[in-house]
Amino acid sequence: MITIIKYTFKEMLKKRAFLLVSILSLLYLSIYAFGLSRIFEHPSNSIYDIIFQSQILSAGLFFANFIVAFLVVLTSVNAISGEIESGTIYSILSKPIKRYELVLGKFIGLSIMIVLYSSIMFLSVVGLNIWFGSKISFGWDNILKGLFFFDLGPIVFLALIIASSSIFSTINTGIIAIMAYGIALVGGVLEQIGTAMQQSQVGAFGLKSGESLINAGIITSLILPTDVIYRKMTAELLTQSSGISFMTQGLFGGMSQPSIYMFIYIFFYVVFLLYYGAKRFSQRDL
Amino acid sequence: MVLEAQNLTKQFNGKGGFKEVTLSVEKGQVFGFLGPNGAGKSTFVKTMVGLLHPTSGFAWILEKPIGTVESREKVGFLPENFRYHDWMTGKELLSFHAELYKIKNPGKKIDELLELVKLKGHENKLIKNYSKGMQQRIGIAIALLNDPEIVFLDEPTSALDPVGRIEVREIIKQLKSQGKTVFLNSHLLSEVEMVCDEVAIINHGRIIAEGKLEELLKEHTHVEMIVSDYTTELIEKISHLSKEFQFKEGKLSFKVEDKEKIPLIAKMVIEAGAKLYQLNTQTSSLEDLFINLIGKDEMS
Ligand SMILES: Nc1ncnc2c1ncn2[C@@H]1O[C@H](COP(=O)(O)OP(=O)(O)OP(=O)(O)O)[C@@H](O)[C@H]1O
Ligand SMILES: [Mg+2]
Repeated sequence: MITIIKYTFKEMLKKRAFLLVSILSLLYLSIYAFGLSRIFEHPSNSIYDIIFQSQILSAGLFFANFIVAFLVVLTSVNAISGEIESGTIYSILSKPIKRYELVLGKFIGLSIMIVLYSSIMFLSVVGLNIWFGSKISFGWDNILKGLFFFDLGPIVFLALIIASSSIFSTINTGIIAIMAYGIALVGGVLEQIGTAMQQSQVGAFGLKSGESLINAGIITSLILPTDVIYRKMTAELLTQSSGISFMTQGLFGGMSQPSIYMFIYIFFYVVFLLYYGAKRFSQRDL
Repeated sequence: MVLEAQNLTKQFNGKGGFKEVTLSVEKGQVFGFLGPNGAGKSTFVKTMVGLLHPTSGFAWILEKPIGTVESREKVGFLPENFRYHDWMTGKELLSFHAELYKIKNPGKKIDELLELVKLKGHENKLIKNYSKGMQQRIGIAIALLNDPEIVFLDEPTSALDPVGRIEVREIIKQLKSQGKTVFLNSHLLSEVEMVCDEVAIINHGRIIAEGKLEELLKEHTHVEMIVSDYTTELIEKISHLSKEFQFKEGKLSFKVEDKEKIPLIAKMVIEAGAKLYQLNTQTSSLEDLFINLIGKDEMS
């Protein structure tokens, strides 16, 4: 399995998609840095500044997260299915290795690469904000916790893609990945709106439709919990140990915090997907 | 037995594949698996190396049930549609496969194999830039990386030039001399005839003939005779001893299963007082045998 992990990682670095996303990321970070330099040109001390700055940070992370998701899709949709479609699988699986080793090896190899990539993106965005003099004070624990959840999202997404790639074709996996990601994103927004409606107390009607929106959001996060994890990340990053939160109710930052059950669910979600993908893959005729 | 199959069946939704194959291959044999396109040869080999799951029946490689990791430990395989990771160089590809076999320090072995398949000097080129024949050559090298006890070669010369074909024949002979077993899928009958000890012929997924190559061929010695002053009694006797008997104005044409029958028949002719002008024998080639058997199978 170590061999698979190693070569998956190597292969990734040689892929054109990887190069493409790297260029895209550099471009994005440069534009973001340029934007920050303009925004922080005239520092003031009002409370609105902090709110505004936390919005800028959230937006920065949101798009960085989006780019990482893009990378995950581009580099992983064909992880298993591509080996089958090209025929390279024959010479691999006729070796004395178990099929689950290929699935798990690919997952781990890609995970390492994605965690590295995602961490660089996260630290760059946060670092740029600090560099340009953001007034949000980050503790190390904020940053580390934020980083953990920032990296976790793409890994959960990867598990879904690897499972799908073990069962379906590359094209279908691509469709599944994009649809799931889209649904999670929309679901997250619905849940936010629902929470807002409940909090603003717009009467019984608001309460009721707010609740159904929240339920819709919860269901979509069960399909792919990336958005929930993303909101957790924002919360961890922006909530101080003193309890003061810089969280705002903007489009890119969430207000409703996911429960602990959600994270237990996420753990089993990843384990189950990998197990199920490997199992179905083992039963396949190649 | 290096390979054994009992009533092994693999079908795709009740169609194709192969049915109820019972086979055994002894150590040190070069076993030819022959059959027309779509007969089920590749399906059989892919089932043996665990890429396909059998529908029913049992099979073992080196006493280990197929589909298990242990059964693949001492196995080499060259797939029919060989394709390798084209972003690696030849050398990297061999190292990768050596690692999959968990071979420690494969450097020397890799050099040896590069020499064997005549790719020395190309090992630092990307597989992407290999010709098809070169890719098949590296495929053969991969199949031999772990010093396998049994090598499955699915049409190993399909992309090779005439010289390459001879080289592969030499490699097969060399493996045999080392006591290895070779399972060769092919429809190049002349090639099979040159290297195989034993063959099985498969048609529509069923084995229609199996045995030692010489014995299969011996069964079909073609004899032509020209005689005169014969009696009908003599002609009748000869027809009983042979197959596919034809007789027309002193010309006899028939097949015998056993070469020993030829002098016997000649003696009968002389003793019956007939004159023998000509006696030609011709051992039929594998091709004749193949066409004959497939033709008969299609009729029934
Ligand atoms: N994955 C599959 N799904 C459905 N049918 C298949 C599959 N693979 C093979 N078959 C069918 O099984 C039969 C045997 O195919 P196979 O590839 O084993 O033939 P072959 O003897 O190797 O032929 P060739 O000489 O052309 O290589 C064919 O009828 C083929 O259509
Ligand atoms: Mg074939």
